[in-house]
Amino acid sequence: MTVFLKSLRDQRRGIIGWSVGIAALVLLESAMWPTVRDMPDLDAFVANYPEALRKLFDLDNFASGAGFINAELFSAVLPVLFIIFAVGRGVRLVAGEEEAGTLDIVLVTPVTPARFLAEQAAALATSLAALGVVLWSTAALCSAAFGLGVRPLDLAGACLSMVLLGAEFGALALAVGALTGRRAAAVAVPAVAAVAAYVLFVAGQLVDAVKGWQPLSPFHQALEGGPIGAGLPGRYLWLVAGAAAVIIAAAPVFTRRDIGAAR
Amino acid sequence: MDAIRTWGLTKNYGRRTALRGIDLSVPAGPVCGYLGPNGAGKTTTIRLLVGLLRPTSGAAAVFGHDTVRDRERAQRLVGYLPGEFVAYPDLTAGRYLEHLGRLRGGADPSAVARLAERLDLDLTARIGTLSHGNRQKVGIVQAFAHDPPLLILDEPTAGLDPIAQREFLAMVREARDRGRTVFLSSHVLSEVEAVADRVAMLSQGRLLVTEAVDKLKSRAQRRIDLIFDTDPPEEPLRAVPEVRSCTVAGRAVHLMVEGSTARLLQVAAPHRVVSVVTHEPDLEEIFVNYYSREVPQP
Ligand SMILES: Nc1ncnc2c1ncn2[C@@H]1O[C@H](COP(=O)(O)OP(=O)(O)O)[C@@H](O)[C@H]1O
Ligand SMILES: [Mg+2]
Repeated sequence: MTVFLKSLRDQRRGIIGWSVGIAALVLLESAMWPTVRDMPDLDAFVANYPEALRKLFDLDNFASGAGFINAELFSAVLPVLFIIFAVGRGVRLVAGEEEAGTLDIVLVTPVTPARFLAEQAAALATSLAALGVVLWSTAALCSAAFGLGVRPLDLAGACLSMVLLGAEFGALALAVGALTGRRAAAVAVPAVAAVAAYVLFVAGQLVDAVKGWQPLSPFHQALEGGPIGAGLPGRYLWLVAGAAAVIIAAAPVFTRRDIGAAR
Repeated sequence: MDAIRTWGLTKNYGRRTALRGIDLSVPAGPVCGYLGPNGAGKTTTIRLLVGLLRPTSGAAAVFGHDTVRDRERAQRLVGYLPGEFVAYPDLTAGRYLEHLGRLRGGADPSAVARLAERLDLDLTARIGTLSHGNRQKVGIVQAFAHDPPLLILDEPTAGLDPIAQREFLAMVREARDRGRTVFLSSHVLSEVEAVADRVAMLSQGRLLVTEAVDKLKSRAQRRIDLIFDTDPPEEPLRAVPEVRSCTVAGRAVHLMVEGSTARLLQVAAPHRVVSVVTHEPDLEEIFVNYYSREVPQP
């Protein structure tokens, strides 16, 4: 597990930075709750929003602590942050190493391309999990401190959905890097895929004709019915399967293709 | 068994052919130089040998292990220095070499320390802060550290200062004397001459010839300028058998010499030579000469 351990070591500063940022964000949002809760005409305020936004952010539950945090953090901001974090790592761990040239020496050791990819995927999953734990513990503390009344167990499910959503697109960045060896492709493909998945999710939320396709979107798999309050839905397994599938599909190509020839 | 063997090794990058049907055989033991001008295909050959590229057609083997089917086994036997060696800039040289040692299943840390000391490499410095020459030393240390049976080195002396270069050449000779095989590429004849026993010459993706260095040396033509204190002794110089051409310009003499310069210098010495300038023979020139001799001109 040497490649894995080195990557974790390399990421420790980044993880600390992201943790501080996410904790600060959760703290700021949670601190607003008492004010929002005590707004005399909160329901009227929410009712002013267009129907589409109310649906998308589940604003009709805005008056509960869980609904507030769902709308403010878990519906858009945190998913985007987790995806950016994961794709950034994913790009660096394979395509980045190949473009830099550091991969050459590593692959002329007993480490095979498939094992390298697997260890980097494990490193990515571990750092995402670390970020998820930070999110969960700050959110749970803040919920208690500001009276949001979100149960830690419900929060855990929501944090897991953020981790899995990040893992899905981070794995895609790793896989495209393993397939092409190019950073640009390893950024572009997950970015386009994430936007497309989000559009599909939103469209499904708003347009009945698209509703049937919505389960294909990782955003639907992660966010539907919460994520706070959705419990631990079996849908999450699709995210795990998706992440694993792209890595497993990329491994044989990575094993067989030229290394460093695209530079 | 040959340390390196290739059969019709061919590599295309897209539609561009970089290597055309190389049949190379490098016996275990002597130091083999892989000589060719820039763009000849040296790096491509080497990356095929270490398993980073796959042949378009043909095959290569390291100690009998096919570099595609049996890649990991072949790679275990190789110490590899890439043409453009890049290490993690945020690690110190020592930590980087430790990391590679672990990837290889445990290298001897004292070997790393010894090699670093020989090359005067500071293991505590972060690689990102090292000069190009010092980074190259890190690359050399990692190639030698696990004392592999075959060293495949792509232009190893690039960027090294003369002292480190000399130390490196000594390391190559010692590796040979321990029974290791060294295969090193270069586009400079003198570098290969200094250490190799045999030379394989490559041009435009084709293997021209594999030859003992001594024989190559005896055929290489060098340009030499001699400056005299008095009028140059033109006739005796022309009479030296190795001299191919000789033009006099005042007190300077420009000569083309094929093979050894010993006799020429012997003849010139008594005539108060002020300075001697030898020019590195151009590889293309060597190739052209080689062929103009092999293939009689019409
Ligand atoms: N990754 C690549 N993609 C396309 N062409 C390449 C690539 N690498 C090398 N070449 C071409 O292949 C030929 C051989 O290159 P190379 O093996 O690097 O030669 P050398 O090491 O002898 O200088 C050159 O014409 C070079 O431009
Ligand atoms: Mg080269």
